[in-house]
Amino acid sequence: MRDEDDKLSQIFAALANSTRRAILARLAEGEATVNELAEPFNMSLPAISKHIKILERAGLIIKGQKAQYRPCTLSVTPLKEVSKWTEQYRHIWEASFDRMGDYINQLNLKEKKNDQ
Amino acid sequence: MTNKDSVVIERIFDAPIEFIWQMWTQPEHFKNWYGPKGFSVPVADMDLRVGGKRLVCMEMQTPDRTMKMWTTGEYVEIVLNQRLVYTESMADENGNVVSPAVMGMPDGYPTTTEVTVELEDLGGRTKMVMTHAGVPAGSSGNAGWEQAFDKLADRLETALKDKSSGR
Repeated sequence: MRDEDDKLSQIFAALANSTRRAILARLAEGEATVNELAEPFNMSLPAISKHIKILERAGLIIKGQKAQYRPCTLSVTPLKEVSKWTEQYRHIWEASFDRMGDYINQLNLKEKKNDQ
Repeated sequence: MTNKDSVVIERIFDAPIEFIWQMWTQPEHFKNWYGPKGFSVPVADMDLRVGGKRLVCMEMQTPDRTMKMWTTGEYVEIVLNQRLVYTESMADENGNVVSPAVMGMPDGYPTTTEVTVELEDLGGRTKMVMTHAGVPAGSSGNAGWEQAFDKLADRLETALKDKSSGR
């Protein structure tokens, strides 16, 4: 669960940036090199590389092994994960029930104090 | 209903069964735990009878504004201290249902979902099983993630177009 949590947070963080979403949109049309990805943006190559690294770590893109070009391709699996509504609700419920447990403990403590 | 379309969470609480029932059915208790992290619950109207309405507001303060999310629904089953079933939909502050798409959710989010809470007495402690399910008949929940992904891809493309035309 913990690992899945981290993975999902990483995907959400990666998607929470318009440049990175635009990179993904470009890759939805087909593979591209870092240079090609950088083209539409008014950004330095290192800046684009940084965005690509974040997307790669989140598992959203895969870099090819062809040494010289290393084209990027879109990986759809993580996007499938986040678009499942159940996953998002699961996080909300788990956090809520943690709070319910804490709240119950607080009430129990109060009752004990009142009993004394 | 497949497992894929529902969330099932089981918890054991160190509290009597009536206590857990009140957590779900009494607004003053419900407000203290419900909702995503960082949200408070300023409104929890509960007309606790079968067919009775619920209206819940969750609120989060961000640096620029107060974000509010309203949900509404109806009680479907009420068995005191044992079983509670209610529906849930996104809504406006008057309890009018709004489609998830309007709220910015990807398609594939079901318009109506159903929450079932089942409680079991473990002698002073309580086992709780919560099931949150998409309501399948005629709901967009049927579409599943494949459609959701198509929509997301569309959005990404739109985002790219906006970006390049903005230059």
